[in-house]
Amino acid sequence: MSADVNGGATQSQKLMIFVLSMSLYGLATLFTELIPSFQVGVVEFSVEFFLFIPLTLAMLFDPLPVALGAATGELVFSEIMLGQFGGLGELEKFLTVAIAVYIAGTVVKNPKNMAVVGTAAFFGTALQLAMSALVDILKVQFAVEDFEAVAGLPESVFATEGFAFANDLLFSGILFCLLPTLFLVPKLHGKIEPLLGMQPRTPENAPSGAAIKLMLVAIIGFVGAVAFALVSEAGMSLIEWEADWVESGTAIAVGVIVAAIIAIVVLAVMMKKSNKKDLA
Amino acid sequence: MENAMSKTMNKLSENVLDKFSMDFLRNQVLKNAYGNTDTVIAKLDPRILLVWYVFFALVPWFVNNVPFLLGCFILVLITTALARVAGLVLFVFALGVFSQTGYLFVVSLLFGGDASTVLPLLILTLKVATVSLASITVFSGLDPDRLSNGLLWFGVPERLSFSISYAYRMLPMLMEEFQNVLLSYKLRGNPPSHDTLMGKIRYLIYQVKVIMQSFYPLMLNTAKRARTTVEALELRGYRNAASNKEVRKIMLSSLRVQYSDFMFIAISVLWVALSALVSTLI
Repeated sequence: MSADVNGGATQSQKLMIFVLSMSLYGLATLFTELIPSFQVGVVEFSVEFFLFIPLTLAMLFDPLPVALGAATGELVFSEIMLGQFGGLGELEKFLTVAIAVYIAGTVVKNPKNMAVVGTAAFFGTALQLAMSALVDILKVQFAVEDFEAVAGLPESVFATEGFAFANDLLFSGILFCLLPTLFLVPKLHGKIEPLLGMQPRTPENAPSGAAIKLMLVAIIGFVGAVAFALVSEAGMSLIEWEADWVESGTAIAVGVIVAAIIAIVVLAVMMKKSNKKDLA
Repeated sequence: MENAMSKTMNKLSENVLDKFSMDFLRNQVLKNAYGNTDTVIAKLDPRILLVWYVFFALVPWFVNNVPFLLGCFILVLITTALARVAGLVLFVFALGVFSQTGYLFVVSLLFGGDASTVLPLLILTLKVATVSLASITVFSGLDPDRLSNGLLWFGVPERLSFSISYAYRMLPMLMEEFQNVLLSYKLRGNPPSHDTLMGKIRYLIYQVKVIMQSFYPLMLNTAKRARTTVEALELRGYRNAASNKEVRKIMLSSLRVQYSDFMFIAISVLWVALSALVSTLI
């Protein structure tokens, strides 16, 4: 259970960091999910009030397990436990939180340097907010048919998202991410690491910057995915598939209905039989 | 917009510490997780339910046909009723869906939208509602152990199913600890009066400060707890078990697809096909 020579964490310590970050951030997001008045419309004013938790941890520990743990914690505690798992939206949250926390944690080489800690916390939050605003806009564009044609809708989505981004960054970014991180990082530095049997982070054993390149690739991938979503929106595969399906739909639908009815009848008979067998 | 912000601030200051009782939340979450193991939905095979969920989570996004969407919506409404989901979860769902599209509608009116804006927004609401009700059915209807076994069977990383089990078992303890720390800070603190606007802002700042400060002992305590958990897991050979195929087989041997699962799928297919038929006829 001791740390490596080069300051890296062992596998079980990585698991500890994962569990720590997951439980804390998961619990915090559970509360934000349950306090409904924070949410106003498609714009979530609340977005990440508690992002300071993984940000702080990522600056003190190995950033990768912290980032994954925080994203998993949010997914499990506030989405799956409450049954709010919506598919696309949660995947997006998972990625944006993980990327933002990881980058912010990697940038900080020396947790004693308050200027770097503050900058990393602020830009980590900004990165997360910008990515999720972008996805929100695309989501509405994708779900609403003839997005451009609907009077007033495009402008309103851009305006609300833009406003939410600015508001979140200034309000929750400073009040809830920058200040708590500046308060917690120096206080916890050197105190929390021994509890997991690790050395505090110093410039010598800080995580290497090579991983930042990896994350840049991830961001490029994210942009690529967004671009792909736009291209397919412009009338390629999915739309055509849908059109075909609607045209010959009646025949297919009737076929499926007949098949389903036959299946139900057969199953009902089989269930009855097996019940009798159980009784006999 | 400024008004909305100050309103949010006010609500924030009222809500953060005063309004929600920790016990209520804990009961609702636990009830949701373990309180309904005897429903029709909970008895179904988790793998079947997950496949069913994937259909209702993806298809509504690609279809713009109102009768079809309405059919899907009614089906997931029925399954949600069958799963007997906790009230709080449904409340959060309803609030989320209606505030989302309602707000978007009001804003689009500001930008020169009119009644024609309503229809696409209604369709969007229908899509969002269908997808979220399907997820409520599956993720609230199943108990966590079965859910994580189902996910494991589909090759979801063992880390995630571990997280689900851990979350459900540890959440009550974590909540209690958080409550204790917060209460001890509250007992020692002297909150400023909040009758005037300035007082309210001061009160908000005070509350945020208390929450921030309470995370200091909370982080240290959780770190200790995380170490204990992981060491206990290591002693039981968790990391080897997570990657060992034999162990996984034993874990998943309790899953069994029965006639009732096929019945559930067949009825769902029938219903969806019926709504597709209606949508092509209209």
